[in-house]
Amino acid sequence: MKVAVFLPELLRHLFKKPATVDYPFKKLQVPEGFRGTPFLHPDICIACRACERDCPAEAIEITSVNDAEKKFKMVIHNDRCVHCAQCVDSCPTNPVKAMEMDHLYEIAAFDRHALKRDWVFVRAMPKKEPKPAVPAVPATPAE
Amino acid sequence: MKFNLPIGPQHPALKEPISLRMTVEGEVIRDADLRLGYNHRGLEKLAEEKNWTQNIYLVERICGICSHSHSTCYVQGVEKLMEIEPPKRGAYIRYLVSELERIHSHLLWLGVAGHEAGFDSFFMYTWRDREVVMDLLEMISGNRVHYAMNTLGGVRRDLDGTLIRKILDGLVVLKQRTEYYFKLGASEPTFVGRLAGVGYLSKEKAIALSAVGPMARASGITADVRKDDPHAVYDEVPFDVCSADSCDVLGRTVVRIKELFESYKICEFLLKNLPAGDIAVKAPKKAKPNEVVSRYEAPRGENIHYIKSNGTDKPERLKVRAPTLANYPAAIEMLKNGFIADIPLIFAAIDPCICCAERTVELVNARSGEERIVRFSELRKLAGERFEKSPVKRNVEWPF
Amino acid sequence: MAVLKTILYLLVYPGLLFLFVYGTFCEWFDRKVYARLQNRMGPTHTGRWGILQPVADFFKLMAKEDVVPTAADKTLFTLLPIVGLAIVATAGLLLPLWSPNPEAAGLVSFSGDLIVLLYLLSLPTLIFFLAGWSSTNLFSTIGGTRVLTMLFGYEVPLFMAVLSPAILANSWRIAEIGAFYRAKPLLLLPNIIGFFVALICVQAKLERTPFDIPHAETEIVGGTFTEYSGKKLAFFRLMIDIELVVSSGLIAAIFLGGFGGGAVLGFIQFVLKTLAVIFLLSLIRALTSRIRVDQVVSFAWRTMAPLAVLQLLIVIVIKGLIQ
Repeated sequence: MKVAVFLPELLRHLFKKPATVDYPFKKLQVPEGFRGTPFLHPDICIACRACERDCPAEAIEITSVNDAEKKFKMVIHNDRCVHCAQCVDSCPTNPVKAMEMDHLYEIAAFDRHALKRDWVFVRAMPKKEPKPAVPAVPATPAE
Repeated sequence: MKFNLPIGPQHPALKEPISLRMTVEGEVIRDADLRLGYNHRGLEKLAEEKNWTQNIYLVERICGICSHSHSTCYVQGVEKLMEIEPPKRGAYIRYLVSELERIHSHLLWLGVAGHEAGFDSFFMYTWRDREVVMDLLEMISGNRVHYAMNTLGGVRRDLDGTLIRKILDGLVVLKQRTEYYFKLGASEPTFVGRLAGVGYLSKEKAIALSAVGPMARASGITADVRKDDPHAVYDEVPFDVCSADSCDVLGRTVVRIKELFESYKICEFLLKNLPAGDIAVKAPKKAKPNEVVSRYEAPRGENIHYIKSNGTDKPERLKVRAPTLANYPAAIEMLKNGFIADIPLIFAAIDPCICCAERTVELVNARSGEERIVRFSELRKLAGERFEKSPVKRNVEWPF
Repeated sequence: MAVLKTILYLLVYPGLLFLFVYGTFCEWFDRKVYARLQNRMGPTHTGRWGILQPVADFFKLMAKEDVVPTAADKTLFTLLPIVGLAIVATAGLLLPLWSPNPEAAGLVSFSGDLIVLLYLLSLPTLIFFLAGWSSTNLFSTIGGTRVLTMLFGYEVPLFMAVLSPAILANSWRIAEIGAFYRAKPLLLLPNIIGFFVALICVQAKLERTPFDIPHAETEIVGGTFTEYSGKKLAFFRLMIDIELVVSSGLIAAIFLGGFGGGAVLGFIQFVLKTLAVIFLLSLIRALTSRIRVDQVVSFAWRTMAPLAVLQLLIVIVIKGLIQ
């Protein structure tokens, strides 16, 4: 029967640096694709409401402020957001998506309503590819 | 002299609320009884209100440790309903994350078993090594738990060369540490003395009580959904089903450590043979009316999702049968004639994920003490009747 | 004047204040070593290197609400922590800290004080059992019965192991035993088996892993301390800390040659030797997992007691050889 099998490992650890990171005095870097909080690039958004439809937590709210000027207001409820980034995937604008996730994760607040962010913007026109020139089709003779 | 010892709903041995009522005599348990329902969240009803894409994230949040299992099981089922198939690269990445999740879950379990036995050093070491896997998953998917890698028709993120190299390096470190734990943890006399001979479940009883996962495999039953019902990637990947014959908690520990080694092998194979191509196909918004049963080998056992669609973009019915629910009767059987000191270990050996298993509701009449298990349809009828009879509240301040 | 001096000795050094300060320091040392062995940091930010953490814990507990269960016997429930603290503090007075002169070592020193010290260290076990019993809670009762079951295991080997150096040194007085071994340091070596037996039995007496069964957190919630909160729990924890100091002081005084060299040098020796013993106790704590209470009794009677008897035989043989 072996006694004290872990002893060499334990003693070795006495001389190693601890594996704990002394948060909040030292912080680790988050990796590149980290899903933090969502935010909007208002100059590119075409207000198609795809993100509002696909959000599982109903955290995106797009309302029309002024129909004539095509002004919209988007409110992102960060207290409801589950940080799934489906809004980024559903956003159809290209080459740069209008919704993006940043790297913030220390967003605690005392009041849940302080976590809402909103933007008022005029919607950008969706980029349309120029239609290929179609030769005029002669009218079919009425039968 | 018998008395009733209540373990739970609040107890330091349990991570989640569940009520185990035992009748003890001295230090020996004579009888055990189980009460569920403290963690019921109404997920199956909520799933009927959201569309197919939103449901991926809902189903993922049934559990934190086996989140990818629920998500994959659901997505497999829905892809069958929509009659689409993910491309090869997408399938490889999806099951790579599955195996990484299995690694993280088994390392977590080893730490929890050590903590329940009082062996805190082992607990600290295994969880420190689990950080390697968590960091890898964070680099792949953007989050340490709730990876959200699945989408209908494939996965959402791709792996590039540097990431693959980092994963392979991380796997080398983990393999070394797991070999160390296998060699030493299984021969530390105080630890093995706690685990050996505890929680005996014979093979016949395990089959009769429908145990699944490592619980069943430690009793000599070689049942693994990845081998019995291979789908997508698993018929191309070479691996063995791990089992042990000792039918006790030590056997379950050994099975889980062996599964860790198998997972490392599978991950390396998947990474080295990753085919090129797309990672997802476009999925339609609606699914034709049909019903499907989807099975998946979660780290805790066999996970079953039943999905029924009716032609719209929302499911008609989603039913989740988590593996822990199938292991409860076997746990009760193991608790009888054990010692009180072994309760946390026996219960931890089934790897309880209680929030996965909260699907039924038991109604206890407070005045008369009688209990009955109510079917979901009956509850729905009761709720409907009550809603119709109650007065409608106007000007209600909803908490949003 | 002499009365005032005695009261000062009782309250400040080597009495309550010194035991409080040194007890919390030893608890900090134990927690830091345990954490470093597990590759963690331990207490860090309270005071430099976290040295004030146990003091902060004590004051936090003093400020919390004190809840007494309605079915419990109030007098017994309230008195137990105070009586327990008094017992271990009295045991602390018997340590030979004062001066190396055997006539005046320790505030109280007389022939046979080794037996009195061992007796005073057994009383806390009874206090824990009564604490569990008077709480009228199922978990506490189970904890209390486990404490007594363990007592049947480790008490006999501990007594036998501690008595062997006394037999070799021909005296029942702790200070004289220390002086004997300081004069002939080589005679410490035959007592090595006894040293390890005493170390393991002291670990069982202090209810630390692998013997922390009576207050096993994951099994019976808090064990004997389930119903205690606030000031009473603060006193119980202080009692455990002082018990740690006294037990390690006893082992250092008997097995490691006592504390000689005058007041200041003796004090430094006391600190170093007790910290060495506490380091070994923390190592045992980090090394093993908790064992079941029936396994404790069988381990004690199958392994510890024969080893202690072997130690006694060795000592008797060597004593015969010397004379």
